[in-house]
Amino acid sequence: MSDVNPITEALGHELLRSSLDHCVKCTICETVCPVSNVTPLFPGPKYAGPQAERYRIAGVPSLESSVDYCSGCGLCTMHCPQGVQIAELNAHARRVVKDEAGVKFRDRVISRPTVVGRLGHPVAPLANFTLGFGPARVLAERVLGIHRKAALPKFAGRRFSTWAKRHQGPANGRKILYFHNCGTEYYEPDVGEKVVAVLEHNGFRVEIPKQDCCGLPLQSNGLFDDARKYVLKQARIFAPLARDGTLIVGNATSCTLMFKREAREILGLEDDPDLELVSRQTYDICELLLEMHDAGELKTDFQPVHETVAYHAPCQQQGHWIGKPAMELLALIPGIDLREMDAKCCGIAGTYGLKLEKYDIGMAVGADLFGQVEAAGAGVVACDSETCRWQIEHATGRPSKHPVELLYQAYGLG
Amino acid sequence: MTTLSTDVLVIGGGATGAGVAWDAALRGLDVVLADRGDLATGTSGRFHGLVHSGGRYAVKDPDAAKECAHENGIIRKVASACVEDTGGFFVTTPFDDPAYADRFAAGCKATGVPCEEIDPAQARLEEPRLNPGVSRAFRVPDASIDTWLLVWALAEGAREHGARVLPYHEAITINRDGDHVRGAGLRNNLTGEQVDVEARITVSASGAWAGRVAEMAGIEGVHVLPGRGIMIAMNHRLLNTVVNRCQMPTDGDIIVPIRTVSVIGTTDVHTEDPDDHTVLQNEVDAMLDDGEKLVPGFKQARALRVWTGVRPLFEDRKGGDSGSTRDVTRAHALLDHRERDGLGGFLTITGGKLTTYRLMAQDTVDAVCRQLGEDRPCTTDVRPLPGSESGEYLHINERLRRREETLQDDQLVCECELVPRSRLEDAARRRGSFDLDDMRRQLRLGMGPCQGGFCIYRATGILHGLDGIDSAEANSVLLSFLRERWKGVWPILYGDQVRQARLDDWIFQGVLDVGHLPS
Amino acid sequence: MRPSRHFDVVVIGAGVAGLTAATRLAQSGARVCVLAKGVGSTHLAPGLVDVLGYDPERVSSPSEALPSFLDAHPEHPYATIGLDGIGAALEWFGRVVDAGPHPSYRYVGDLSHNHVLPTALGAKRPSALVPETFAQGELVARRGTSSGPICVVGMRVLRDLHASLCAANLERDGVAARGVQLEVDVGRAEANSLGLARCMDDPKFRATFAAQLLPLLHADERVGLPAILGLRDPHGAWSELERRLGHAVFEIPTLPPAASGIRVYDALRAALRAAGGRLVIGASVVDVEREGDRVTAVRAHTSGHDHVYGARWVVLATGGFTSGAIELGSDWHARETALGLPLRGLPGEGEPRYGGDYFGEQPMARVGVAVDSSLLADGTSNVLVAGAALPGAEPWREGSGDGIALSSGLFAARTVLEREGATAAA
Repeated sequence: MSDVNPITEALGHELLRSSLDHCVKCTICETVCPVSNVTPLFPGPKYAGPQAERYRIAGVPSLESSVDYCSGCGLCTMHCPQGVQIAELNAHARRVVKDEAGVKFRDRVISRPTVVGRLGHPVAPLANFTLGFGPARVLAERVLGIHRKAALPKFAGRRFSTWAKRHQGPANGRKILYFHNCGTEYYEPDVGEKVVAVLEHNGFRVEIPKQDCCGLPLQSNGLFDDARKYVLKQARIFAPLARDGTLIVGNATSCTLMFKREAREILGLEDDPDLELVSRQTYDICELLLEMHDAGELKTDFQPVHETVAYHAPCQQQGHWIGKPAMELLALIPGIDLREMDAKCCGIAGTYGLKLEKYDIGMAVGADLFGQVEAAGAGVVACDSETCRWQIEHATGRPSKHPVELLYQAYGLG
Repeated sequence: MTTLSTDVLVIGGGATGAGVAWDAALRGLDVVLADRGDLATGTSGRFHGLVHSGGRYAVKDPDAAKECAHENGIIRKVASACVEDTGGFFVTTPFDDPAYADRFAAGCKATGVPCEEIDPAQARLEEPRLNPGVSRAFRVPDASIDTWLLVWALAEGAREHGARVLPYHEAITINRDGDHVRGAGLRNNLTGEQVDVEARITVSASGAWAGRVAEMAGIEGVHVLPGRGIMIAMNHRLLNTVVNRCQMPTDGDIIVPIRTVSVIGTTDVHTEDPDDHTVLQNEVDAMLDDGEKLVPGFKQARALRVWTGVRPLFEDRKGGDSGSTRDVTRAHALLDHRERDGLGGFLTITGGKLTTYRLMAQDTVDAVCRQLGEDRPCTTDVRPLPGSESGEYLHINERLRRREETLQDDQLVCECELVPRSRLEDAARRRGSFDLDDMRRQLRLGMGPCQGGFCIYRATGILHGLDGIDSAEANSVLLSFLRERWKGVWPILYGDQVRQARLDDWIFQGVLDVGHLPS
Repeated sequence: MRPSRHFDVVVIGAGVAGLTAATRLAQSGARVCVLAKGVGSTHLAPGLVDVLGYDPERVSSPSEALPSFLDAHPEHPYATIGLDGIGAALEWFGRVVDAGPHPSYRYVGDLSHNHVLPTALGAKRPSALVPETFAQGELVARRGTSSGPICVVGMRVLRDLHASLCAANLERDGVAARGVQLEVDVGRAEANSLGLARCMDDPKFRATFAAQLLPLLHADERVGLPAILGLRDPHGAWSELERRLGHAVFEIPTLPPAASGIRVYDALRAALRAAGGRLVIGASVVDVEREGDRVTAVRAHTSGHDHVYGARWVVLATGGFTSGAIELGSDWHARETALGLPLRGLPGEGEPRYGGDYFGEQPMARVGVAVDSSLLADGTSNVLVAGAALPGAEPWREGSGDGIALSSGLFAARTVLEREGATAAA
């Protein structure tokens, strides 16, 4: 959206840059960077962020392609004790690199999940066959640069929104708006159904506005203008409905983080009042449920679940800076043998680990997590983000579920 | 004791002295260039890095403006590799006399300073952090220059043409033979060794120290009035264009983007001693307030380092001390002591400014040739310095580009200023210097945000590993670097730099325990 | 500001002091939440527990030196905590590491004597409690400690330890030592000690490393390695190397980051989580709710909306100037940034803030949050202060950093427990 005043936008960028002043070179960001720890191709968050930023001038061609190897996980920003917006600086630098090199056709495709979803949904069996078909994947690798082994999801063959239209919820209850995201819409409608069931079980009346992609994949692939269009479109839909204080809840921690913070900081949309409102009132589903529990409002009529569950907090979940509410919630379920994974990242980082040149890096990044999952002997890996779940299933062969799915099971709602 | 014999001995290894050496060497003269310390450690190494467009003097000093405008065009060509083509703005802030802008425009026109008035909105689009209250803006061809690169390129060029360059050689006597100077006695400040230089002509290019050198030759009345000014380097480029306040020259009226930092300058305090590097708290505070006028938020930005420089303002002895040095002319003074004092073989070049170093050198070597009775034309206006042959400007992202190319092969020693290990090792071997402060100026080692917190231990270890120094010397260069650094840091130690300083304390005094090294 | 979550104790800061206080409280059944803007010194410091290294001469026995040190420094945090409190903290920490995620890894030492270990520059540095993997670097001969010449092992790929300089300084200080340079292939031109520690987690790398190093060693030498002996199983890596080399092996701290410090973080974090404590990284505390002299809630800035944490007690363990917990503005006013608490030790109007000699007296160095004799912040009845936020110490010069952090963290926890116990009893 180009109705941003260019001086304001430029000033916003300069002010983002000024966070590099807080950097004391301490290396904490390097200790948590999942990518630079497994490959020398990415020189690390300190180098690519606050260090290189001193050598960059807005509008002048960038010279470092190495920053493209940053996966944008945001762990650096989160762990920086000094308040340097490392990941955000890197996102801008990546955009400049892409501006010059041109964004690959592949990245333009995979950054538009709703387009891919709409294309794939009507022909789901065929599309799924193709996705599972070796020669087709080789072709996709050659033509699109999507690694032949990468974890691609299966189209569900039905859409969540279709279910939602037919769904008869309770007439009364506390109203809440549900942002279900593209993964739920096209690939995992059952997760969305369970989210709604768990919310309704706890006295909510769930409204599901018509919606589209949040814009995050576009942003992380350097397509900032398009990302702005998408995220503002969602803000225009949700803000009027939330103006009375109604909360917005989502089950994809990466999309909710986009609303909460990333779009505003990275895309320079701090001043958009609709987005500001959406940012303030958006909750991750586990965040919301734990807050209710802390206030004594969450139903705890859980039946035992006898399962060893490994919980992995996705990077974008950690970027909410709220701890690990899913861990606390799952711990309420009797019988559960819950193991907290402390590995950094599964390696997928949205679309990063799908790419031909990054697949191996992604798998190396995830190796620590996969090893921990194996060691724990987990029957199920709980994880809040769908792309991470696909990666974990792909790498470990063990089923991965959204934490809400386990709550749903424990509530006996199935 | 060593004895050297040469045509021209140049005392003072700043831009002027190195410029004289380069000019004279190009004209085929045999040259010795000596400085009491490392090259470019006097005024040349202690300014903000501006190549004047002339705009600053357009109203007040039209002759200086013309000189600057002319030399600016030449420096951009012959020393392009040291110059960053930042361009400059003169802006009328809400704190400036609005009537000055028209006088400024007229002055530029009259003096030939290229100047174009632009829409203030355009200036802010290019420099978003600029004060939004700017009401007039002019574009001029100001530029910034890496002064160490320049002086070392001059010295290197001179050396390629046969000159001998002697850093750390201090003139302790000017040797007279009746009414003729026949050279000088130098002391090697590193080894204590005496070097006697016999020269047909001795040039004192010692800037603010020129009076002292002249006194050694028995000449009275060479009075250089040092005007001390502070400059503060901010951690990153708050601006990418040189920005001047459009008003009569005053304190804190310019911010220069140079390499990775922005430098605000400067104050003007009279001092008797050119080696007086006192930084007064009220000067720092006033400078920060001035920065805020040009760039709102300046006081929240991170200051890295403060230093002082002395302007060599020449004044003939007749006048008494004037309270303000800013009114003394900045044009340079070439004193031919044969004409002035009846002492042959001795010239003093002082005053001036870095932008006119080449012109000063040309005038000086012209005078040298006159005394020698030889006709040798100057070519420094067309002859590029070593490294500047391509005519390409220095660019801020040059080190990033080079680093990107060697990411998988070379190591970074100084991460802030992207100094690779290979360059440190090369520089130390080539110069035979294992002094960290020399390496700092030569390579920008330790000049970035952490002020050596991470690289100085590494550099010390690497230099020690080159077998140039033993562990006692290694400890001593490390400790003296830390002491020197502290001088430039503590007067501006607020905000982000406090965190850095404390982390550095913890690294050096805690983890490495430098306070308890074996003596 | 309506708290949406309530805890018995909110601890601000996830360094050694904060994690210690939080873990100890959680172990006693308190509902504890740690809020931290990021991680801290544990990732940078080598994890050596210094209690008192210099007074101003090198201290050989902290327990003997402390009584007179406390008399001479009544403003020092140790004066409140006392010798017993410090000793208890060291014992508690030892137990946490013993029970921690690193099999068989343990700390050695106590207050009776300081280990004297080499720094990366070859200085002799005193520490009270050190990981077993460092202990064989002992430089002061005592019964039961290792002796023998030292071989310091450097690697070109690691810029942060220079073996020949380290060894040359040891040698000049009367310790037989030499440096060797090992060319190891880690697939990149430069790596920090953490990167190498990750390599050391891999048994294949250890085997190759040992095979390369073995021929370079002389008989009877102790082998000083940079602190890279792994993150997952440092005891295993260390004992395996000793076995393969047939020489005593010890770690030497490098420039940050510090694998051995991250082991401390991992041990404390595991203990905190095992005891049910919450840990929120990324959340900076920006505001506070008060009722009279009680802080009732803190507001943490998180993504999107802020979170408000209600608390009966708050432990402020945010660090000092390094972490930005205390800030000095360009107007030269200092402030505590999380809760706005009053400071102590600030130079008065016209007094110098800094000394011109780097190694001389630096008045700003001892500034901290003003506390009473039970480490309660001035003007509050339920905010305890721990770690580098405390005034009156110069840890990097005294050699007292983690000693203060551990003992004040534990002291704060005990104060909460005592007062809560008293409330419950009443």
